Amino acid sequence: MQNECTTCHKSKIKQCQKSNHYTLHNAINITRQTWGIKDSNVTLQNLPMPKNDIHKPADLVDDFLRRKCLKCHLTSNTINKTQNSCLACHNKHFSKEDSKKAKPSMNKCLKCHNNEYIGTDYKGLFPHDYDKAYRSPITKEGYYPPRPYGIDFHHLNSDIHFQKGMTCTDCHNNSKNKKWEDKVSCKSCHTNLTKKNHKSYHKNIDCSTCHTSWSVSSYELNLLRDDTPNYSQWKRLKVQDDLYLENYLKKVLKSKKIIEPMMLDNITNNLSKGLWYSGWLFKRWENIFLINDENGKIKIAKPMYQYRISYKNKDSKMILDDVTHIENKKIEVFLPKTPHTITKNSKSCEMCHENKIMLDNNLINKDILKGQIQKGYPFSKEQLKKLNSPFYKKERAKILFE
Amino acid sequence: MNFKTLNILLLLSIFSFASNNPDNCITCHQNTAPIDNYHTYKEFGCASCHGGDKNSLDKNAAHKNMVLNPARLEHAQMFCGKCHSEIISRVDKSIMNNMHGVLDVLKYQFKETKTIKKTSGINYLKYKPTNEQTLAEDHFSKLCAACHINQKEEIFKVSTKRGGGCVDCHRVNEQNTQTSKDMDILKRFKHPQMSTKIPSQNCLKCHNRSNRIGLSYEGKFESEGYGTPYKKGKLTHHLDQSRYYYDLPADIHHTSAKMSCIDCHTEKGVMGDGKHHAHMEDSVDISCKDCHSPTFKKTEQYTLATMLIVLNENMPHPKEIAVSKKMNSPIYNLQKKDDNITFYRKSDGKEFDISKMSDAPYHTSKNHERLDCTACHSSWIPSCYGCHEVYFKNGKQYDWIKHKKTKGKWRELRSYLRYESPALAIGYNKKIMPTAPGCQVITTIYDKNITNEGFHSFAYAAWDPHTTQKQSRSCVDCHFNPQTLGLGAGNLNIKDNNITFEPYYNSIESGLPINYPIDSLVSKDGVQFQSFSRDEARGFNKKEVSKIVEAYKCIICHNKWDDKIYKDFNLSKKLFYSKKTSCSKDLLSK
Repeated sequence: MQNECTTCHKSKIKQCQKSNHYTLHNAINITRQTWGIKDSNVTLQNLPMPKNDIHKPADLVDDFLRRKCLKCHLTSNTINKTQNSCLACHNKHFSKEDSKKAKPSMNKCLKCHNNEYIGTDYKGLFPHDYDKAYRSPITKEGYYPPRPYGIDFHHLNSDIHFQKGMTCTDCHNNSKNKKWEDKVSCKSCHTNLTKKNHKSYHKNIDCSTCHTSWSVSSYELNLLRDDTPNYSQWKRLKVQDDLYLENYLKKVLKSKKIIEPMMLDNITNNLSKGLWYSGWLFKRWENIFLINDENGKIKIAKPMYQYRISYKNKDSKMILDDVTHIENKKIEVFLPKTPHTITKNSKSCEMCHENKIMLDNNLINKDILKGQIQKGYPFSKEQLKKLNSPFYKKERAKILFE
Repeated sequence: MNFKTLNILLLLSIFSFASNNPDNCITCHQNTAPIDNYHTYKEFGCASCHGGDKNSLDKNAAHKNMVLNPARLEHAQMFCGKCHSEIISRVDKSIMNNMHGVLDVLKYQFKETKTIKKTSGINYLKYKPTNEQTLAEDHFSKLCAACHINQKEEIFKVSTKRGGGCVDCHRVNEQNTQTSKDMDILKRFKHPQMSTKIPSQNCLKCHNRSNRIGLSYEGKFESEGYGTPYKKGKLTHHLDQSRYYYDLPADIHHTSAKMSCIDCHTEKGVMGDGKHHAHMEDSVDISCKDCHSPTFKKTEQYTLATMLIVLNENMPHPKEIAVSKKMNSPIYNLQKKDDNITFYRKSDGKEFDISKMSDAPYHTSKNHERLDCTACHSSWIPSCYGCHEVYFKNGKQYDWIKHKKTKGKWRELRSYLRYESPALAIGYNKKIMPTAPGCQVITTIYDKNITNEGFHSFAYAAWDPHTTQKQSRSCVDCHFNPQTLGLGAGNLNIKDNNITFEPYYNSIESGLPINYPIDSLVSKDGVQFQSFSRDEARGFNKKEVSKIVEAYKCIICHNKWDDKIYKDFNLSKKLFYSKKTSCSKDLLSK
């Protein structure tokens, strides 16, 4: 990470090299572990090259990461055309006086932090489904709607901090007590908590659990690596939140010649055989359920992801055919999350205390909506019982009749 | 032998002939498979149904004035009508033949008529030149009119064949008529088989779009189109080439007894009662209570029932059968013997016990008297938000009525799909029913370039989604769920005794031409945002919304139906607010 910025910002750059933004070790290792690599501990910089001999999901995960997943990293072509990794987030500045210019703009952050991840939800954006019928609504000028960050979005209500004009770096910054990548606490600004529940029965609940409105939940991430030129079934599904794939499919579906499937390695920028296709079961903004995070705080759970993995090799042999389990365990992760859809008013008590997903109350899709939790643990029987305890009912009734 | 059965046999024998061969057709057409046990070749020959000269042995003379498919409605009266005349005249007027229900609602939705005006549907458009058609009429011709029972069947592939008149429904085992191509044409052809035991897949040929009841009944939800999971590297769960589904709980009548559509839907309800009804719901005969709270009458009062029981061959001939409350038509597969009530599945006569509707307070309470059974017992409803209709004036598209490509092409886009928490509204029967968008039309019209003729018209429709479960929805699921109330997804709460609601969807930012959330039928103050195509139907008004939510304040603790406060809920509330109950002291202290 040697570049023109080094002259002044040597120590910052050193610090950045250890950061998750630089190494992406969180995303990489959670994915590798989920796909069956025990105790994975690698970074973007020393991620192994893809294997050629594939028998199980673990053999395929590095290829998946390189070609489908890691489109976003500091020197990735899609987000940073320069060779200077600092400029993925910062704008250039030339003197001490104009250093404010260098402050990362929200748009720079959202180039990566979009889609079903935390980021674009701050602006109220929820990704559309893939089928071409969802390229709606047609604009007044008669065109398909604009695609910020390359994605079609629904607009839902946005974060209150966004409505007040705040951007990412207003909270996520370097300050006396924390580094820029550290978790931000609401309480560092909002010190005056007056409601009775804040300090008593809800003291173990993360602020975001009650004070967010919606959350992106995308269920069952189906992945297929296909090394054969079998394109026709994707005619309606060219849009897969992957501009490379979209353009490639457009090209090969038009062509009269058979074009071999080739996809870019996002780290080496080399082409290699096969295309990664993806599809969901469905996406929802309404569904939430609660889990405990590592520190015992109650948070909203988010599927990241429930994988179903297929690999068809160049001889049309299905090496992996819709693999959903590794050693009898489902290949899935639910993580505690902080949706950035903060609202002043909290959720109604019922959204958690009468939550269908947690209480299985007439729930239609039991198996899909819940799953294995990492970096946290599910609600205990006791916690579930508390949800509709006589104490809750009485307290709630009091509020209702206030 | 029963007197009625004897009658049928007598009727059949009129067509009998002394000789073994009733006509000469069989001299050439040797390989005719039997149609069914009743329309036998021996009794009827070929010509009584197909016309022609039955005595001639000359091909041209024999085939003169012959009809290939006498079941097409323009021929049916002449051929089938020799015996079934009364039914055919009913079918002629029925909504499945004319499709006027669809056309008339579409014209209303496209703002071409101010009220629903009855037309003659397909017939109305048959001779209307394309350039004189309105936008709704063109939309109907290009997208809707593929489904009607008298559609030209030869325009379809065998697997999706629709139309053909009576045979659209009554033809069964179609695949049996397909044999290898290299055989002699006379031998290759097998006569289609006919039955009154109509398999559900015949109904599903058409009833798989719009409100999608045929699919929902079998637990198939038309999905967002991902075709997942992938198996063998291919997309799965196809409905057709471009439509996919995923599995949800099927209707209990399907899961517990594999009942077909015709196990509930009566002969009159399907083929019409001879009246020119405006809508599907006017034509449908059956109601839940017809079986779950049945009325029995003496079988001998119903000639039709007797005939149908004989034709079915799989069920006994009882003294008493159930009859429908609306059209008083026989439900001959629900039978009473002594005090035992038995349901017989029409396809094979298998017996099932039927549960009677209980008189528990949740069914008898005055507070719930306006609820249709479907309001509580439907577990999901296919809801398609945003119907973006794109029209290219200069394009060309197949017209299902004129059977050729004509000017004007349509493409349909969507916003999103849901199935959870069916919204409720006052339905066509003035009862509270599940409801979903139907339809939320946003048009974009192109001439050479985009024009400013586009318009929008947002509506909901109420229907029985056919996703019935024994277990009803929970109290909270209606009394404190914004989606059920018709407000849409969002945060419903009560603050300082006022209902508050913060919706999730932002229609304006999403580029829609409306200033309310796309999934809001009504506001929390009962202002109705989206219309219905039925005069009686509407969303909940302010009083109703607050009454429903108000009840939740009690439900939170008193969440069992046998709770004594529900014996006379109005009295209980009175006692509570006059501080005469044990909880009122705690809750109303200030």
